[in-house]
Amino acid sequence: MLISVTVNGDVFEREVEEHWTLLRFLRDGLGLTGTKEGCGAGECGACTVELDGRTVNSCLALAVEADGASIRTIEGEADQGRLSTIQAAFARHHAVQCGFCTGGMVMSVRDLLQRNPRPTVEEIKEGIEGNFCRCTGYEQIVEAVLDASGQLDAAKGVLRHV
Amino acid sequence: MAARFGYRAPRRREELLALLGEYGERARVLAGGTDLLGDVRSGLAHPEVMVDLKRVEGYRELGWSADDGLLIRPGVTINDLLGDDRVRASYPLLAACAQDLASHQIRNRATVIGNVVNASPCADLSPALLCLGAHAVLSSQEGRREVPFTEFFTGAKRTVLRTGELLEEVVVPPAGADARGSYHKLKRIKGHDLGIVGVAALAEDGALRLGISSCAPTPLLVDGLSTHDPVDEVVAAARAAISPISDVRCTKEYRTHMVGVYVRRALEEVA
Amino acid sequence: MSDRLRTVGADVPRVETVEKLTGDALYTGDLLLPGMLHAKVKHSPHARARILRIDTARAEALPGVRAVLTGHELDYRIGLYVVDKDILAKDVVRHFGEAVAAVAADTPEIAGEAVGLIEVEYDVLTPVLDPMAAIRDDAPLVHPDLGSYAYVEAAFSPQPGTNIAHRQLVRKGDLDRGFAEAEWIVEREYTNPSVQHVPLETHVVVVQWKAGDQVTIWTSAQSPFTVRNLFCTALRLPLNQVRVVVPHVGGGFGGKAGIHLEPLVACLSRKAGGRPVRLQATREEEFSLLPCRSALTYRIRTGVRSDGTITAQQMTMYWDAGAYADYAVNVTRASAYSSGGPYDIPNAAVDAYAIYTNKPYGTAYRGFGHVEFFWGLERHMELVAQAIGMDSLEFRRRNLLRPGSLTLTGERITEHTGDPRACLDAVAEAIDYGRLTAAEAEHERTTGRKVGKGVATLHKAPAMPSFTATAAVVKMNSDASVVVNIALMEIGQGCDTALAQIVAERLRFPVERVKVAVERDTDKDPYDWQTVASKGLILSGNACLLACDDLLRQAYEVAGQALRANVVDLDHDADRVFVAHRPEESVTFAELSIGYAFPNGNGIGGPLVGVGRYIAQGLTNLDKETGQGLPALDWTYGAHGVVVDVDPETGEFDVLAISSAYDVGRVVNPGLVRGQAIGGMVQGLGTALCEGYIYDQQGRLLNPSFTDNKIPTARDIPARIDSAVVETAQLDGPFGARGVGEHPMISVAPAIGNAIQHATGAELLHMPMRFEDVWRALRSHDPIDNWITETPVGSCRSDLPGGDATVHPADAVAHPGSTHTPEVALP
Repeated sequence: MLISVTVNGDVFEREVEEHWTLLRFLRDGLGLTGTKEGCGAGECGACTVELDGRTVNSCLALAVEADGASIRTIEGEADQGRLSTIQAAFARHHAVQCGFCTGGMVMSVRDLLQRNPRPTVEEIKEGIEGNFCRCTGYEQIVEAVLDASGQLDAAKGVLRHV
Repeated sequence: MAARFGYRAPRRREELLALLGEYGERARVLAGGTDLLGDVRSGLAHPEVMVDLKRVEGYRELGWSADDGLLIRPGVTINDLLGDDRVRASYPLLAACAQDLASHQIRNRATVIGNVVNASPCADLSPALLCLGAHAVLSSQEGRREVPFTEFFTGAKRTVLRTGELLEEVVVPPAGADARGSYHKLKRIKGHDLGIVGVAALAEDGALRLGISSCAPTPLLVDGLSTHDPVDEVVAAARAAISPISDVRCTKEYRTHMVGVYVRRALEEVA
Repeated sequence: MSDRLRTVGADVPRVETVEKLTGDALYTGDLLLPGMLHAKVKHSPHARARILRIDTARAEALPGVRAVLTGHELDYRIGLYVVDKDILAKDVVRHFGEAVAAVAADTPEIAGEAVGLIEVEYDVLTPVLDPMAAIRDDAPLVHPDLGSYAYVEAAFSPQPGTNIAHRQLVRKGDLDRGFAEAEWIVEREYTNPSVQHVPLETHVVVVQWKAGDQVTIWTSAQSPFTVRNLFCTALRLPLNQVRVVVPHVGGGFGGKAGIHLEPLVACLSRKAGGRPVRLQATREEEFSLLPCRSALTYRIRTGVRSDGTITAQQMTMYWDAGAYADYAVNVTRASAYSSGGPYDIPNAAVDAYAIYTNKPYGTAYRGFGHVEFFWGLERHMELVAQAIGMDSLEFRRRNLLRPGSLTLTGERITEHTGDPRACLDAVAEAIDYGRLTAAEAEHERTTGRKVGKGVATLHKAPAMPSFTATAAVVKMNSDASVVVNIALMEIGQGCDTALAQIVAERLRFPVERVKVAVERDTDKDPYDWQTVASKGLILSGNACLLACDDLLRQAYEVAGQALRANVVDLDHDADRVFVAHRPEESVTFAELSIGYAFPNGNGIGGPLVGVGRYIAQGLTNLDKETGQGLPALDWTYGAHGVVVDVDPETGEFDVLAISSAYDVGRVVNPGLVRGQAIGGMVQGLGTALCEGYIYDQQGRLLNPSFTDNKIPTARDIPARIDSAVVETAQLDGPFGARGVGEHPMISVAPAIGNAIQHATGAELLHMPMRFEDVWRALRSHDPIDNWITETPVGSCRSDLPGGDATVHPADAVAHPGSTHTPEVALP
């Protein structure tokens, strides 16, 4: 089936197989491999993208469902190589380790901050609960989100020397 | 996806019902897809064609009527429901159950009706819909019928839906101004998880209803109770209604215990 | 020393963070090769069965299928320490999910369809599931040919004719005398099931087997040289014909430490005429095709005097290796010599067994056995203290290792080994151990929940061969920046950043001028043993320092000629080598970097390439009968303190606060240390709270997905997280540093268990501590017997196996509850 989608501002017309997931289309069809598959079952959130302004697990959407839609992926987050506020905060706060969850995580944080520009710690945790991270233990991600939302005072975690 | 299938996205309900009539069991209705696409991936569903209802005109809207109350159409997602101020104000119990369903991304896709039609014993919305006296409007090319949710579920993952039939509308009657609800859900972690035990309670004009999930092959309603009944009797009624099993999530003993705990706590909150 | 360090100790952002944040970072699964085929695997639905027939005809006939493989075509056996595994099952299957056939095809869909067309006929046999039953004389043998397998004889002792893959003995002092001196003897048994590592990236491999047996393997592996070496041994190829390339890796935690899917994919590529073949494990395959962490039953018998002094301890470990030995035999070895924890136990005996069963096999997992046995050990210390009526913190303090103590294997602890007492005290203080704060008392009043606090200690040394070695190459570019080549893998732990800081510090360069090359390549990078064991910082750190010294020596030599000065009179800064007492006489690193040219055009020197080689110093094999010897490169000590609140009515609990402290020797990067500390702690929380394999009586895994194997989400982390470090310099560590990659995951569970006990009195002996487990412990009900369950059908899923199967309880299955032999005896 021929579909037309706008991804990160660029329009693509592509023939896709009906059974392809949106995730597979983004990765194999468009070469946007920053979106990852962690489970294929909508549990881990590594494949999170924005579909018409809402975050979805792209492993649980069909590419054909996205016909006519506007999609945003992690590749659209930086501007000409300049990191976004969220990305820069992630870098400062060691909110990235292996990096495999990072793309989806940033998409969820972006969505959260658009809905709620100054979230509390609890709201941040709820906003990213659909994104598993096995490396960081989430705390430094929460700190990065606090920083990115202008709440740096609350954000600075310390390593205590005894 | 492991399997191949065709895809149709009708714009009109007549077209949709015609496709369901034409393909019968070979078609599956695609709404949010969060259950269905998982089933296809794991080989549990083998549709020949996916009939996407999200482009049908009007299907993504909530409806309101003074007599019938809230009308939920097939394309309405969980987050659509939660994002509606009137729902939050008039149906706090429904909102509480919806809020506890999976993750934000899933709630952006999963539909209310999909959650119901899937007929999982642990579906989050069913206890609330049962307590609220909601009914289902089923449509097909042959016509339309209404089924209260107390009669909708026939077993684990089974409903009264016939081949070619669509659950086109969930109708939730208006709740009284003095209605008080509460929802308790046992999970294994604080993050998103299926309900291991779910108890919704609604008190209205002294009448008490309990909607219980994950404790029988279907979500079930315990009706005919009063907020003035002794707590132990209410707990006994709830325990008599359930038939929990032991599984990988917990034992029937614990489920039985937790139903008692949640019923007691719910009573304190709503009575 | 610390005030003179500029880069080491600084909170430098991770060197590879930008490409991970933009989605540019390439992982193995992102690679696309011309003509690449896609592979799928046919799994065994049985735990133990004879393969009577495999019919691949229909699969081979499917258009688009390029290769179909079965075990009989493959005359190779692989194994890390015991060579016991076929690439595809031959004649018998030994665990649920085992690979019995595989297909490579033009698309994943065609490969999947072809796998469905392969017919396998089995004669299903009763599986051996419980390790305690597997060591009975009459147990069926998982490997009847164990006696014929090759194995690493210096370290391991398989017992042919049994299911024992390895037996490790440790003997210290006089156990009988120690128990005779005891006033109390406390004995308990502690258990935990297998768990899955759950890196977010599942295992993925691309292999191209080209003409002339030239093989290139792209793989999501932790240890490229281990993959290459074991691959070549199994496939009988020279090492220089096989190249292993590893791009970014999406987490490993030990699950990607050895060799896994690479040989299978390679054989598919060869059969498909040399086309590259890709296999990405599904999440479900991660649970049963790929290995897990072994289950453990740990029995501890402790003799103690009334003053709290431990006089003797007898420890018996039954490790469930699963169907293949893989790392489990080495987990058994390392756990045995470490099994007493950071305590001074004068008389001790350890008998540790790695036991074959018909289950998915165990491998390395962060902590390498220590997460599992510290669950038992630190719960046990709590129960011993309780039995003698002593505060458990005081009891621990009394028995901690101190300078002069001897470890179980006879290593003498010195003041430089590390300070377990400082760690324990730090966490106890941080959580206000021993009392409730006003806020906590108020919390109890308002919620009806009970607040409790617990502590637990930990230690771990790298488990590795005594002669473990690595190398680093530091190459200078003509702008005086450097590129570092190593084969230690960056898998998220931050080694690239830490090593860049170490190199920058030694060269006196800003860290921005140091690049650690991302992709590892066995053809281009110098050897490293493996990325495991928390040994990377010490070994590769030292190798990097030596490589820097080598590079500087070369630079000084050429600078000496250029400046007409003796090398001894030279010094350098970030940009120049200069005469120490006449700094204006200098030459820049840029001028020296690729060979110095005099004004007349004469050249001297050449490209500056520093090489550093480092090998563990002074370690020995362990005596096979007594376990005596020196196995430990270094010991990292630590402790956790936990505050919980428990709902006494339901058993639900919440970890309100956690404090951790480790003696890391030297903090190279506080952000990285904190990342390891918190990340490990939350992984430990998952293992404590909810993770674990559940089987039915036929040995089929019932929860191979995130639906019923939950891992912690952001909502599950404690509200208050405190990370502390102690810095007792490691004399042979780079700038005094020692490893801390695994340690944060260890002893989180017992600290929680101890806190729950303090809150409610619940005596938990099994981890994880699901809410129902706590509820049962509070009511002294039997533990839930569902790790090998009799009631396999899920309430919400009709797809689980077993719903229509005949359930016949195997006599081999023991109830975990029935083996508890609590005994508190007064002599």
